[in-house]
Amino acid sequence: MKHLNEVELIERYCGEDDFDVAQHLERCQECEEAYAALQVDFAEFDPAAPPERAASYEEQVWSRIAPLLPAYPVRKRAGAARGFWLALGSATACAALIAAGFYAGRIWEHQQSPRVVQTNVPSPAPARVVVLLSDHLDQSERLLVELKHARSDDPQTFPPLREEAGNLLRSNSKWRQEAEKSDDADMVLVLNNLNDLLSQLANEPGGLSPAAIAKLQEKMKADGLLLEVRVLRSRLPNQRTNPANLKGGAA
Amino acid sequence: MGKSDHITIQAILAGDKDAYRVLVAQNSRSVFRVAYRITGNEADAEDVVQEAFLRGYCKLDRFESRANFSTWIYRIAVRCAFDKIGGRHMEAPGRMGSSSNVELQASLVVDRLPDPERLMLSGEIGAIRELAMRTLTPMERVAFTLRHMEDCSLQEIALALDIDPNAAKQAIYRAVHKLRQRLAPLKVRA
Repeated sequence: MKHLNEVELIERYCGEDDFDVAQHLERCQECEEAYAALQVDFAEFDPAAPPERAASYEEQVWSRIAPLLPAYPVRKRAGAARGFWLALGSATACAALIAAGFYAGRIWEHQQSPRVVQTNVPSPAPARVVVLLSDHLDQSERLLVELKHARSDDPQTFPPLREEAGNLLRSNSKWRQEAEKSDDADMVLVLNNLNDLLSQLANEPGGLSPAAIAKLQEKMKADGLLLEVRVLRSRLPNQRTNPANLKGGAA
Repeated sequence: MGKSDHITIQAILAGDKDAYRVLVAQNSRSVFRVAYRITGNEADAEDVVQEAFLRGYCKLDRFESRANFSTWIYRIAVRCAFDKIGGRHMEAPGRMGSSSNVELQASLVVDRLPDPERLMLSGEIGAIRELAMRTLTPMERVAFTLRHMEDCSLQEIALALDIDPNAAKQAIYRAVHKLRQRLAPLKVRA
């Protein structure tokens, strides 16, 4: 009798096992014991209760973030130029409020401390900070990394790549248009290259074959696209990866 | 999404920012819980709560009405917590969930950790569990936490981490394998 391996036991734990595994466990004492041992190990990592929050916790959270929230403007039809500036302004405001959020959180965290918290917060983000663009570049970078490592003998990974490329293609078009309007030549160039690759990845006739993947990997390499996206990403404020910069040195 | 959530979000998007208070009140404890379980400390969890709600507010105009706000903000919180523990920093350079790069980083972490037997002799079994968790990469830690402590499905984990379900499954496998390896010396002693 072939016994279940650790992967199959973990699959069962994850609720991903099939009927055969369940049946085998009923019949095989050795595997049943192995599964019991796995459950014991899991029990070692049972979650401890998170620290109690005050009864007014919800109010505390709200009072911390409320001053940082800009009201959404009343929605009206507007010209493209106005829409762009609204979008840019909104994105910049979001960046600023997240940065301010970190700072405010640090103040809140240390409010009972005698330490004097700096009040002279450095400007959290330049005008070009676009948090949503940062997210788009992150997602694009992840996709490019996935593509770079995609193996021709593992075609199961192709459909998710294609689907993700389709999603990114839509947002990339939007960012490309806005970059064109703002005369950011570097960004336009990278987003154009990215657009070409995403378009081929998402719309390759007949689906993605190993040969198509290899071709796209070559194209990506030739264009230096992954590096370009990373460089572009690095031009944006690194709020999440370097939160210390956003806390005004209060930590 | 519940009808009342939908109405609330419409109100916020129409300019009534105070309406967001309702959504914050409904979700702040669950967001804190998952943030705490992932980050492992209170201060970081509070940072994550704040960032998640701010980020959620900023993206509210892209929120799809067929989605559930609680699930949506939960995913944002998971991403924020993932970033907080260094996820973006460590996972981005390699292929998410399965790169040799991630393995290398994890092994480097293991190498820096004290010998489990020495820790056990000092009676710090709880510390060993925590150290075992620290041997996981951020991706593995989050995937394992969501599966084991938050009872999320693979699909939910994949959505929260923006990876495919197979990568989520692989991350859990690796996490469990590593954790069992770290616990093995304890069981031998016992």
